[in-house]
Amino acid sequence: MTTPDLDALAALTRDYAAFQARKSGLATALGGLAALLLALAALSPRFMGATFMGRMVVEYLVWVPLVWLGLKGALGRGLYRKLGSVVAAPDVRYERRRWFWILGLALFLIVVLLSAVYAFSQGFFQANPARAALCPPPLWILAMPPLYLLATPWAVRGIEEARVYAVLVGQSILWLIPLFLFSFAPTVPPRSGWGSFGNAAGIGLLVLIGTIQIWGALAMIRGWKEHREYLAILRSLPRVQEG
Amino acid sequence: MPQPKPDLHAILDLDRTVHEPARLAILTVLSAAESVEFLFLQRVTGLSKGNLSSHTQKLEAAGYLETLKAFKGRIPATSFRITEDGRAALQTYHRQLRALLPKEGKP
Repeated sequence: MTTPDLDALAALTRDYAAFQARKSGLATALGGLAALLLALAALSPRFMGATFMGRMVVEYLVWVPLVWLGLKGALGRGLYRKLGSVVAAPDVRYERRRWFWILGLALFLIVVLLSAVYAFSQGFFQANPARAALCPPPLWILAMPPLYLLATPWAVRGIEEARVYAVLVGQSILWLIPLFLFSFAPTVPPRSGWGSFGNAAGIGLLVLIGTIQIWGALAMIRGWKEHREYLAILRSLPRVQEG
Repeated sequence: MPQPKPDLHAILDLDRTVHEPARLAILTVLSAAESVEFLFLQRVTGLSKGNLSSHTQKLEAAGYLETLKAFKGRIPATSFRITEDGRAALQTYHRQLRALLPKEGKP
């Protein structure tokens, strides 16, 4: 063998291990593309209209996160493990950063999901006032944040790559909100409190769509860069000796 | 002005298990990860299977790495992990070598 450049060898190993620990390459790019398409679909008047959502759009919204998650795993195994498995050395700083990210994501999810549940129950009870009398007082909603807070970070942590998972979460939120919020709003005449909440939710949704578009575009760029990094790793490998 | 004589003892003190280029490369790769599969080690060092096996056996005998056997479905997969002794030996080797090499800009 030729005299090895030891620093380069160590760097190569760390870079390759990163693909099994946190980088997803083309899967990230595809996730970004899916998020962009989803945001564009969400902007179409038909989708935003509360009367009816196109079947194709709804199916896309429901299935794309799951398809993407499966695709991410398959791409990871097929594209980025050709040289065998390398487990990355523990990185305390990265782990700490990741936990910050996960907790932030969990808090964001809690706010969005609670808003969706609140809007859903408001819409439901306005449409069916007779049922409202049978329901427990709305205080039960107060118990939900701690419940979500207990479960969500661990659920997010369960997925290996939190940054890429954020794209999936963004997509899920995007179809959760219209499903829960907008399918009820126009059929029910606004009452006190509901109108302002609806406006705030609408603005929030537009901000979310914009954020996800930027997020998706950045994910595409990052994914493509990571894929090129991986190709560079493959190119830098020495020829294996015969025998 | 007389040139300082090289410290031969310091050169002879180098750990020969680590000093061999292939084994040095193997230990360097292993030190950069938690565990490394045989295939990656082979591709990144460019060694043949036989050569790599021979060197990993020597390093294992010295207590510098441990072999992890597992199955991926029905296919056996061999991985390696550097031990604390191996990491210490590698660090000591780097330190000794740096002390032996001439300083920047001096012959």
